[in-house]
Amino acid sequence: MKLSGRRISRGRAEGVGLVSTSPISFLGDVDPESGLIADHKSDIFGESIQGRVLAFPFGRGSTVGSYVMYSTRRNKRAPLAIVNERAEAVVATGAVISGIPMMDGIDVGLLRTGDKMVVDAEGSFVELPDVRRRRAVTSFLFNRGRVLLLKRSEEVGTQRGKWAGVSGYLEDDEEPVDRARQEILEETAIGNPQLKKVGEPTLARGNDTIWEVHPFLYKVDTREITIDWEHVEYRWIRPEEISGYDRVSRLKRALDSLMWPEGSPRSS
Amino acid sequence: MHLTDDQEELLENGRFGERKAMEILCALGDVFGADRLVPISSAHVSGVSYKTIGDAGIEFLTDMAQGTRVRARTTANPTAMDRQRWKEMGISDDFAQKQLEIVGLYEKMGVEESWTCTPYLAGNRPSRGDIIAWAESSAVAFANSVIGARTNREGGPSALASALTGLTPRYGLHIDDNRKATVMVDVSSPLKGKDFASLGCIVGEFAKDGVPYFRGLSASESEMKSLGAALASTGSIPLFHIEGVTPEDKNAVTDNLERIDIGREELDEKAEELGADEEPDIVAIGCPHLSIEDLKDLAGRRETRRKGTEIWLCTSRHVYGQARDLLDRLEGIGKVLCDTCMVVCPIEDRSKVVATDSGKAAFYLPKFCSQKVVFDDVGSLMRRFL
Repeated sequence: MKLSGRRISRGRAEGVGLVSTSPISFLGDVDPESGLIADHKSDIFGESIQGRVLAFPFGRGSTVGSYVMYSTRRNKRAPLAIVNERAEAVVATGAVISGIPMMDGIDVGLLRTGDKMVVDAEGSFVELPDVRRRRAVTSFLFNRGRVLLLKRSEEVGTQRGKWAGVSGYLEDDEEPVDRARQEILEETAIGNPQLKKVGEPTLARGNDTIWEVHPFLYKVDTREITIDWEHVEYRWIRPEEISGYDRVSRLKRALDSLMWPEGSPRSS
Repeated sequence: MHLTDDQEELLENGRFGERKAMEILCALGDVFGADRLVPISSAHVSGVSYKTIGDAGIEFLTDMAQGTRVRARTTANPTAMDRQRWKEMGISDDFAQKQLEIVGLYEKMGVEESWTCTPYLAGNRPSRGDIIAWAESSAVAFANSVIGARTNREGGPSALASALTGLTPRYGLHIDDNRKATVMVDVSSPLKGKDFASLGCIVGEFAKDGVPYFRGLSASESEMKSLGAALASTGSIPLFHIEGVTPEDKNAVTDNLERIDIGREELDEKAEELGADEEPDIVAIGCPHLSIEDLKDLAGRRETRRKGTEIWLCTSRHVYGQARDLLDRLEGIGKVLCDTCMVVCPIEDRSKVVATDSGKAAFYLPKFCSQKVVFDDVGSLMRRFL
């Protein structure tokens, strides 16, 4: 699977990913002698950046961080490549002077520590050769201010026990809206939902798959539904209650994109 | 970002240092959404102290210096020692040699013998509206705010990249709209001495990377030097305005600005938080470096030396040259040290507690030099420890 981004520092590298969900300051968070992450609060504390593709949301902290990156290269402790959600000056400068390929504009939430990654700054993409891309639909049924969530059974292939919308995978050239209507019929036995809104597709990470999820909002006339083997429980919730549910990844993002127009304030 | 044919040529076929410099500027231009590169009238680089940049810095500068020379007037930050009195500072021969190697590399590239955080007091003083590329956060604040020149907050490598190419990406503070105030600060108490540093430390924390607009404040150039340095330490503030004082105050205010009030209580509280009640090993004045006016004020003080506490007066070699007549009197107060300061020299090798009047030094000494800090006015420090 290929993710497209933006070149910050030239080059191409292949290696295994080390992914931090928190920002990194090279001055203080990284020990240039050992190449180990020294920040106790980091989710990759104690891991070595040496020879890995280091991915994190963005850099923070002192401009001396650029020299610390140069130092890691000098000590042969440098990462193979750097991937950011959004680059800032300290890490961008450090990558350029150290000759470390770097890209930004990549959703780091889709990457996992241990993923094999190809960072091609010249081609402006990051490739995950062992991760495939598949398309899926997730539909939210809406009735008098409430939205339907379903709890996935232990029989289904992925994300067992998590709360989700009405979802299903797409075959090769299937239209997402056809699949959405079909899944609603199978999973809730509702045959006449009214399509209200089509959301922007979002990407969500599964184990060896990145799902391109197409979200839909349907209005229905009833809260009486019949679930099939794929689910064990359902609830009609207020949209803002979604945060309290152990849910499939990026479900809230998908719902938010349907309930509130892009760019306007959203309740958290 | 658009490059001209000449710039493209430098990026692809320049000398190693020129290519790297162009790569740095292009990466930053892309990161910050610049449309093009613009010429600069001067550069000021940081990353000079061996304590800060270490052997990695030397290797970087060695690579960059091969066959390249600066294309704009360029000054540089303080080193880790007085280049003449380093033995008196307890600096080892090895350390001194590394530091002199760094100085030599910068000089080889054509950087002026400056070694100060106050280039604007050492001959590199831009004019209002000049586009410059300066590192050193306190000098950035001064150049933008007090002079009205235009620079973003450059890091050491990006300021050097601009020096070697004579160019900087156009974004941020080069553009009028980004120089407007983001927060209104009403100061309700008259300020003196260390109050300017305390005020800077409070507003830096509050305004983060914004542009504060002060009302109810009168300040000398030296007081603005102290204020700006503190603003740029606890915050990342590149520019401030003072009503009726700084050159760009007229069009800086927009509607509905967030507003804070700062009075005597907040200032005294911050001063207490910055310092501890300890016996200092060294009293260090001159962060940012002392101006000739500052040195005249010190020389005019009536106190005479009674105690043995070591006192440092930190300034630039340039200002030192202007102070020849005062040196006898000043050396009676303390060591007049040039080319360095209490934060970038290895002060931790010989001191645990430093007394200072600087908000910037009070902020960085505990973080980077493991020092406890005594924070007070110059006058009080002289009365207490001279």
